[in-house]
Amino acid sequence: MGRMKDRAFALAMMAPAALFLGAFVLWPLVKLVIDSFFDISPIAGGPRTFIGLDNYRQALHSSDFTHAAVRTIEYTAIVVTAEFLLGLAAALLFSMLGQRSSVFRTFFLYPLMIAPIVAGLLWRFLLIDNIGMVNELLSRVGLGSSADAIGWLSNPHIVLFSVAIPDIWLTTSFMTLVLFAGLQNIPAELIEAARIDGAGSWRMLTRIILPLLRPVIAVALIVRGIDAAKAFDIILIQTKGGPDNASQTLSLLIYQTMVRFREPGLASAMATMYLVAMLVVAVVAVWFIWRPGAEQR
Amino acid sequence: MSALAVRRPSQRALLWSLLAALLVLYGFPFLYLVMTSFKAPLETIAVPPNVIPKHWTLDNYSTALRRDAVVASLINSVSTAGISTLLSLALAVPAAYGITRFRTVEGRVFIMIALAARMVPPVAIGLPLVAMTRSLHLIDTPAGLAIAHTTISLPLSIWLMASFFEAVPESLDEAARVDGCGRIGALWHVVLPIVRGGLAVTAIFAFLASWNEFLFALLLTAVNAQTTPIVIANFQTQFGLDWGPMTALATLYSVPVVLLTLVLQRHIVAGLTLGAVKG
Repeated sequence: MGRMKDRAFALAMMAPAALFLGAFVLWPLVKLVIDSFFDISPIAGGPRTFIGLDNYRQALHSSDFTHAAVRTIEYTAIVVTAEFLLGLAAALLFSMLGQRSSVFRTFFLYPLMIAPIVAGLLWRFLLIDNIGMVNELLSRVGLGSSADAIGWLSNPHIVLFSVAIPDIWLTTSFMTLVLFAGLQNIPAELIEAARIDGAGSWRMLTRIILPLLRPVIAVALIVRGIDAAKAFDIILIQTKGGPDNASQTLSLLIYQTMVRFREPGLASAMATMYLVAMLVVAVVAVWFIWRPGAEQR
Repeated sequence: MSALAVRRPSQRALLWSLLAALLVLYGFPFLYLVMTSFKAPLETIAVPPNVIPKHWTLDNYSTALRRDAVVASLINSVSTAGISTLLSLALAVPAAYGITRFRTVEGRVFIMIALAARMVPPVAIGLPLVAMTRSLHLIDTPAGLAIAHTTISLPLSIWLMASFFEAVPESLDEAARVDGCGRIGALWHVVLPIVRGGLAVTAIFAFLASWNEFLFALLLTAVNAQTTPIVIANFQTQFGLDWGPMTALATLYSVPVVLLTLVLQRHIVAGLTLGAVKG
């Protein structure tokens, strides 16, 4: 059982997965970057001409791209903020109610399993102007003047918030679950000690609970932030990026550049910039806040 | 009971009513989807809308299932997710074992690479994968789509399995090897039976990742290998806003996984909180 043989064995065990990721993640990404320097005919096997950085220049000069980038950041911020606040409130609620609420915690999980496309469709149905249930309920309780008072998905000023609703509905449970697990790990003595010292609820939350939860919060925010920044199907099914591109995020713009405008080279340049930005943000976040597995070795 | 638990009855009553409000907010949208699927076609778009169907009918289901490509898409969804789950487990189990059992530099690098792969936007892989699967003659096949889905589920599966292997004491593998099992034998006969709960969790997540995926399915399938999420989305363009059959198919597609959550909730909670709380 020599050390060397162990190492060879470990490598052999990792090899198939490494080869798969190399062939179907890394190689496509290399091709993506290469494609971004070419003007490519959308027809399979069509001609391609090297044009250097022209695609990048075109992308950066188009307001579509810069607007979509800003919208992606805004959308991510909306989703993550709303999920964090709702998720924390729900996790605290479950903790304060104790064991007897465990059945309801289970029920709370179910949206996590629903396909984003179904969630988007469902909320589109609920938010749609004239026959939507949300406006109907609002007008019945006296908050809206008529059944089509709020153009959730047709008003460009609010549409980015509206399309985020299904995403928030779908995955707040994840935030709740992770924060709840974190809350269970807070030593009871700390809470008791603070209570004896006469700390009020707000001080307890901001001075004791939130600082202790910091690592858990960081992971939850990173994981959800990455996913929200990739959002595609939820928005596509609700608005296709409209009205007036007001809900067009980077994934949608890149997809539409490829499929509708049939410009694979330009789409590749946009996707390359998007990819690099995602990796940089994620690596920085992980490195400074999370450091997975650092304590294990 | 947690130290945060509130004991005063008046406060508990307030908290319970808050919870009730939260559960209504969470339960209502899906309930409304299911209810709509049982309404008659005209009632689905009635103004003002109502929740409970006036006349219960299965018409939307029969309309949806009779439509072209619907039944085929359900079969495609099952086979794509099945292939992707098997592929993901077959690659992730040995890799995670290699990473956790023999503390090599390569192992540490590899788990970081797996993490980085989770951050890659699908659209960035999706564009070149179209040309790649075409040249491999895998475009518009469940196998080709399953490969694409595995690029999403494999990093997660490696991460999950590595955490489950970490929890098994290494002395067990060593004892097995002293007893004459090879390295593979120790994994197969001793370690895997211990982590079978973890295997189940990983399988569920790999399956769901494929079952619910949309972008790759949109890019890599056309006629033969379309999965149900694509067909659901197509309902709106081909036939206007055909809410009835659309909600019926969406219900049909979601109810099995919602039931699965409720049955396997313990495992799912374990998978979702793993790493997040430990890390």
